[in-house]
Amino acid sequence: MLRLAWRNIWRNLRRSVITVASLACGLAAIMFGQSLIKTIQRQLIEKATGVITGHLQIQDARVKEYKFPEKLIDDPAAVEKRLSAIPGIAAFCPRIKLTGIVSSKHDSLGVLLIGVDSALDQRVTTMHTYTSQGKYLSGKPREIFIGSLLADLLKVKVGDDVVVMAQAADGSMGADRFKLVGLYHTGSGTFDGQLAYVDLKSFQEMLAMDGKANDVVIRLKEPDNQPTERAAITAALAGLPVQVLGWGDVDHELVGIQTYQNAILNIMLLIVFTIVALGILNTLLMSMFERIREFGVLKAIGAKPGWILRLIILEACLIGTVGAVFGLGLGCAMIKHYGRVGLELPLGEAIGYFIPFDSILYLKFNWGMHLRALSAVLVVCILSGLPPALRAARLKPAEGLRHL
Amino acid sequence: METLIQLKKVSKVYEGAGMSGAPKVTALRDIDLEIARGEFMAIAGPSGSGKSTLLNLIGTLDTPTSGEIFFEGRRVSSLSENELSDFRLHSLGFVFQAYNLIPVLTAVENVEYALTLQGVPRQERRARALEALHWVGLDDNAHRRPDLLSGGQQQRVAVARAIVHRPALVLADEPTANLDSKTAKTLLDLMLELNEKHQITFLFSSHDPRVLETARRILQIRDGALVKETAA
Repeated sequence: MLRLAWRNIWRNLRRSVITVASLACGLAAIMFGQSLIKTIQRQLIEKATGVITGHLQIQDARVKEYKFPEKLIDDPAAVEKRLSAIPGIAAFCPRIKLTGIVSSKHDSLGVLLIGVDSALDQRVTTMHTYTSQGKYLSGKPREIFIGSLLADLLKVKVGDDVVVMAQAADGSMGADRFKLVGLYHTGSGTFDGQLAYVDLKSFQEMLAMDGKANDVVIRLKEPDNQPTERAAITAALAGLPVQVLGWGDVDHELVGIQTYQNAILNIMLLIVFTIVALGILNTLLMSMFERIREFGVLKAIGAKPGWILRLIILEACLIGTVGAVFGLGLGCAMIKHYGRVGLELPLGEAIGYFIPFDSILYLKFNWGMHLRALSAVLVVCILSGLPPALRAARLKPAEGLRHL
Repeated sequence: METLIQLKKVSKVYEGAGMSGAPKVTALRDIDLEIARGEFMAIAGPSGSGKSTLLNLIGTLDTPTSGEIFFEGRRVSSLSENELSDFRLHSLGFVFQAYNLIPVLTAVENVEYALTLQGVPRQERRARALEALHWVGLDDNAHRRPDLLSGGQQQRVAVARAIVHRPALVLADEPTANLDSKTAKTLLDLMLELNEKHQITFLFSSHDPRVLETARRILQIRDGALVKETAA
């Protein structure tokens, strides 16, 4: 049967080549689309978690607004002590994130103030790598590190003093003078214009929050192990009035972008699969109508309806397999090529407004998704083969033999 | 002689095709017929007389509208689709006017196909297919595809395909219609030889005088009814 099916599919060489080519291009396009979307998503997650969100965060159990935690952790030292014993954690850093005001001689602007221990923060986030002028926080008291856009708006330069104001723990307004030690440039309007990093200890003093933090941000050794590590950390912190949050809990916008992109990807897949299915259905139906007499002969010889059904399904599978092999090769070649040279997309600037994002994407394989697409292509082939297969199987031998 | 096939009051009516308003056509009416094992016989009659329909019914390629068909005493007109396939696979062989070989298979692959369906092991079926091709004198063309064979050679491959599994009955529908006189005679002699040597029953439908001259028993059919029987 295999031999007959194989020869049958090459009977009309041009038609089969076109079908196989459309199938291969379809699969390659699917793989490329999957890789592109997943690379964008991976970069988004890497950037967002790397710059500010971290892989996991510890916040007070009463906090409702995870992005801007409104409650302080009662005993951050106890949390830190327990986190130190967890092997899956690469680094962690207690922070205070508050909205406040930064004022220069020229202007005052509302920003998100982030108080960090500079040594720890450099192990958890990548913010210091975006330094464009001066230097990152050194750990000395009353240092501030702001984005280049914010500096332009405030008309300040490295070495200038600025005044930082925010609501203290007792409800009063805390204010202090900080020295601008460095500027960063991420390319993101949000980050460069609306964030300011200050020395944690000085910030705690200014706000009467000595030893306090409103989140502890964590970087994992293996980001993909987030669910396992989250469970381990939750267990380790049992008894403390805190909650363990993933980046998805904290950064809803990022999850929204992912959901949106996945929806686009799924619509794209549906369109491609429909085209592939119709192509194969057309080929198999035409092939079946051309061979009605032959099916009559096969049935006369003694082929059972189930045998005819299997023959046509096998032909569909063979077309699918050949197309899938070429598609896999083409898809791999495209992803490998753009993984090496990079794919420049203007997308970076669009997304970059919210999160620092590189315009050049280096595509990566996502074998889980690729194999699912491959399986789906084969399933689509089998399903496309069913209508002609059933029709041929039900054919009466005499009807087939009468067919001209 | 042992009865191989028996037809009792067999009729076949083709229903008019729905929207076209075509009328019913009675292709066969109340056919009673007995064929003994080892016969070499022909059904003769003009075009449209019902020869091919009768052959199709005996070959279980079509079902009668009424009446019963027995093969070796077993009623075949009521078998299921799969049982009929099995019956044809083991008991019948077919030779068609247009040869009807599978174009993507070589001569030997065409011949061995029934054996493949029967599940005969590869080596055995190949040996038997080559033997059948030897009987029809096509040893040298065993590995050629049908499009590289002449009409006569293709029909001989078809005969080899029909007899390779040693069926009790070979049904040949106008087997010489597309062949020249010499090739037709060679083919008929071959089938006669197979009939005599291997006791294979042959039933032809034909209005070719060459076939009718060779057949030992001839049934004349006209307007769907058997009208005359002659024996050589």
